[in-house]
Amino acid sequence: MRKRLGVISLFVILFVAFITIWNYSYFKGKEEAYVPIDNSRLIPIIPSETGVFQRSEYALDYASMPVDKNHERVLDSYYKNRAYHGAPPSIPHPVSDERNMGDNSCLKCHQNGGFTEKYKAYAPVTPHPEMINCRQCHVSQNTSSLFKETSFRKIVVPKVGINNALPGSPPVIPHQLQLRENCLACHAGPSAPKEIRVTHPERVNCRQCHVLNNKEVKDIGIFIKKNKANE
Amino acid sequence: MYTSVTGRRSFIKKMAMLSAMTAAATMFPGIIFAKEQEEGIPKGNLDWKKAPCRFCGVGCGVLVGVENGKAVAVKGDPKSPVNKGLCCVKGYHSVMAMYGKDRLTKPLVKKNGRYVETSMKEALDLIASKMKETIKDHGKDAVSIYGSGQWTIPDGYVASKLFKGCIGTNNVEANARLCMASAVTGFLTSFGIDEPMGCYEDIDHADVFILWGNNMAEMHPVLFSRMLDQRLKRGVKIIDLATRTTRTSMAADRSILFLPQTDLAVANAICYEIIKNKWVNKSFVEKHCNFSKGLTNMGYGLEDKYKFKDKPEKISFKEYENFLEDYTPEKVEKISGVSAKDIKYMASFYGDPNKKVMSLWCMGPNQHSRGTWMNNLIYNIHLLTGKISTPGNSPFSLTGQPSACGTVREVGTLTHKLPHGVVMNKKHREFAAKIWDVPVENISPKPTYHTVEMFRALDRGDIRFMWIQVTNPMVTMPKLKRYRDGAEKEGRFIVVSDIYPTPTTDIADVILPSAMWVEREGMYGNSERRTQYFEQMVNPPGEAMSDTWQLVEVAKRLGYEKQFYYKEETHIEEIYTEYRKHHDNKKHNMAPLEVLKENPGMQWPYVEGKPTQWRFNSKYDPACSNGEEFHFYGKPDGKAIIWQRPYEPAAEEPDEQYPYWLNTGRVVEHWHTGSMTRRIPVLHKAMPHSYVELNPNDAKRLQIKTGDNVRLTTRRGNIVLPASVNQRGVPAPMQVFVPFFDENMLINEITLDSFCPISKEPDYKKCAVQIEKV
Repeated sequence: MRKRLGVISLFVILFVAFITIWNYSYFKGKEEAYVPIDNSRLIPIIPSETGVFQRSEYALDYASMPVDKNHERVLDSYYKNRAYHGAPPSIPHPVSDERNMGDNSCLKCHQNGGFTEKYKAYAPVTPHPEMINCRQCHVSQNTSSLFKETSFRKIVVPKVGINNALPGSPPVIPHQLQLRENCLACHAGPSAPKEIRVTHPERVNCRQCHVLNNKEVKDIGIFIKKNKANE
Repeated sequence: MYTSVTGRRSFIKKMAMLSAMTAAATMFPGIIFAKEQEEGIPKGNLDWKKAPCRFCGVGCGVLVGVENGKAVAVKGDPKSPVNKGLCCVKGYHSVMAMYGKDRLTKPLVKKNGRYVETSMKEALDLIASKMKETIKDHGKDAVSIYGSGQWTIPDGYVASKLFKGCIGTNNVEANARLCMASAVTGFLTSFGIDEPMGCYEDIDHADVFILWGNNMAEMHPVLFSRMLDQRLKRGVKIIDLATRTTRTSMAADRSILFLPQTDLAVANAICYEIIKNKWVNKSFVEKHCNFSKGLTNMGYGLEDKYKFKDKPEKISFKEYENFLEDYTPEKVEKISGVSAKDIKYMASFYGDPNKKVMSLWCMGPNQHSRGTWMNNLIYNIHLLTGKISTPGNSPFSLTGQPSACGTVREVGTLTHKLPHGVVMNKKHREFAAKIWDVPVENISPKPTYHTVEMFRALDRGDIRFMWIQVTNPMVTMPKLKRYRDGAEKEGRFIVVSDIYPTPTTDIADVILPSAMWVEREGMYGNSERRTQYFEQMVNPPGEAMSDTWQLVEVAKRLGYEKQFYYKEETHIEEIYTEYRKHHDNKKHNMAPLEVLKENPGMQWPYVEGKPTQWRFNSKYDPACSNGEEFHFYGKPDGKAIIWQRPYEPAAEEPDEQYPYWLNTGRVVEHWHTGSMTRRIPVLHKAMPHSYVELNPNDAKRLQIKTGDNVRLTTRRGNIVLPASVNQRGVPAPMQVFVPFFDENMLINEITLDSFCPISKEPDYKKCAVQIEKV
């Protein structure tokens, strides 16, 4: 009898426990369903506006990173690697696998950067990691000789330190933004050329202060107010 | 912040030191930043003087570098609690706005259709005699002044004293009617007293930010950066609820789009969810809230002499609950295009007792044909959940002009207002008349015209003389053509005080050159009730004179020497001291001038030597007197009102003939009508002209690409603009957006002059338009 009572009470306890847990999880589930992240309606992505915030989650890390003076990149070599200001840089190192797509090879180093023992340098971070067919634009340089001479001349590159209107005012952006929307990729971290490395990477909304000086718009000439008082 | 490292040991040491430094830097953002900025400035005879920024209503503290009598540099004031050393691109270049080559330096008088230079004395004589003549021929109510949220406090104060107190007409209005009036009526109807209860510091406490139709990344960038800073440090959430995809949407954790005008329904649906899920803070609502409803189907003010007076009626919680049955998330999804899930998602943040929520808005809910309702509805959400007047729980109404709060709202340069109270109230009139030293009968008990009606009266001929200061209505008035034609009619005399030729100086009979910003002394009051003083740092060009002194000179010529006793050297101090008397009470006391001079501004109510950060909360606000935790002392019974406000459609919605919505607004580079920012080369080069933004799908269907000319046609007229597809912002399908800064492409020629019947603020965000490629 006592044994049976024990068995019954065990089942009663189990049943009550089941009801309690079931109830709890039911309400929990309801609650969770209540804070759903619904990604079904996507908003349009604005290319020129979205990039600026892309690496912002690393902004504080960038701010606290010390600088490795011995392995800094400089603007000179940065430009040397490009046919002209704004051209895609060539690959200055041997490429391991000719047939691989970027996400399996290039991005391993160039998505987030980092020191490479082999080249004694920090890998530059790409501002557009979503484009994985890297070698569509970036090619390696396998010889230093030319097929025929060229008369192409590099245009003058923008200089650092002369882009602000007032002493101490924020410099304007002297380059175009297409494919370079993500400011922090090139302007922060150990791989950023030292001349253009930002002192305040934690200020994420870069274009609050730094505006373009080369916006592609209809040229309306010098702004002249057609005004009676001016005549 | 960067240092070099050599050895491995010193590397580790420096690493530790650096992380401590960064922690400090991020705790006090900007402080180290401003220091660095200073290092980039060559050592010279630069003299740094503090001022509030000239542009928007955020009211950043700036330090202006002056060398040999010229302003040559700007940096953020690290001591300012508003911006902690950071500015935006406009602030950093603001001093350049003083040095445009076409600066007005001499008064110009129109003679036979030509402007002739004259002396300041002659111009002021002419204005005074013209005013006298107009009053004699057409009565007091035929003269008027139209000012601005860019007026300094003394400017607005002497204007109000001259027109309301001395001349005896309530024809005093300001452009803040076009941008902040709905915020004011929102505060008055919900709380009985104007201006936000919270402050910018709320940003450092809140866990979730919900932006109601507010592109903060461009319009209030310094405050937005403060939010982004908090996200990096504390992982706060930013939700962008808007009609258009913008830079803010790109930065936000979540972007939710609604159809124009349906924010009314969305806000009600959030309230429905809060009640349904029992997230109502019962004890708070019982102790501190009443429920009311007002009239509906109010109309849109499209016709001349339109009048509306709301009839508030108390209702029970039950009635309110029944009313909300029409606003279930599922029903609202059909009206607004916001998924029921998204509505529940937002409601869950407001409802979660462990999350502090800050709502921010500016022109979206304000320039709205139901603007007062929209403001009420946002307060409803915060009142139902009791998330108000405590650090981090804050419905925060932002402003767009540097002294919309300080001058227009606090000094009261609107037709119905006095510095303390309203003209309709006998006691308030007596109080003002005593300080102004005028007979009380002088102050008329009847409000006259709000802004739109004032320009209609000018058109009709009821108003014959108008003095326009620090603003540009011939760019900003909706349905512009009617009001420009009206102002140009025979027998109207228009005086315009400005610093540059604008479309508004084009309609002037007399143009007065003004001294701007730090070329004179003055104060501004920003969105968080902070009054900030600035001294004169440089000399104004030519004969340019401050707006305050222009008014004082004319007042003296009209025979009011007794009331305008101020001495030229000390007039700003004398005026401010006199003005303070109007607010001499615990609910609104202003800090004395010495305090303003020493500090980066001071918030009112300033009681017993202390500013008040959170009003209505007895812990912070000494004006609370009911012994409870909260006291909404603006209302006689100390209770705030939760309003029953339905969804109603806009005045003009898209139809077959005009199938698109037209929305207007601003860009980060330009401010107001661009008369200052377009003369700053850096800003003009970054944003040289206006454009029309199209949705990429609409553009594709119409075969329009960026740069193509597009004709916009509404019932008011048409205008051609270059297209912009997938650039700065992306409007939703069947909507277009145009910035209003460009005086060569005046979008307001075709906007609609419908307004909120309670606040009389026009809805610049909504009318129907047809588009075609040309």
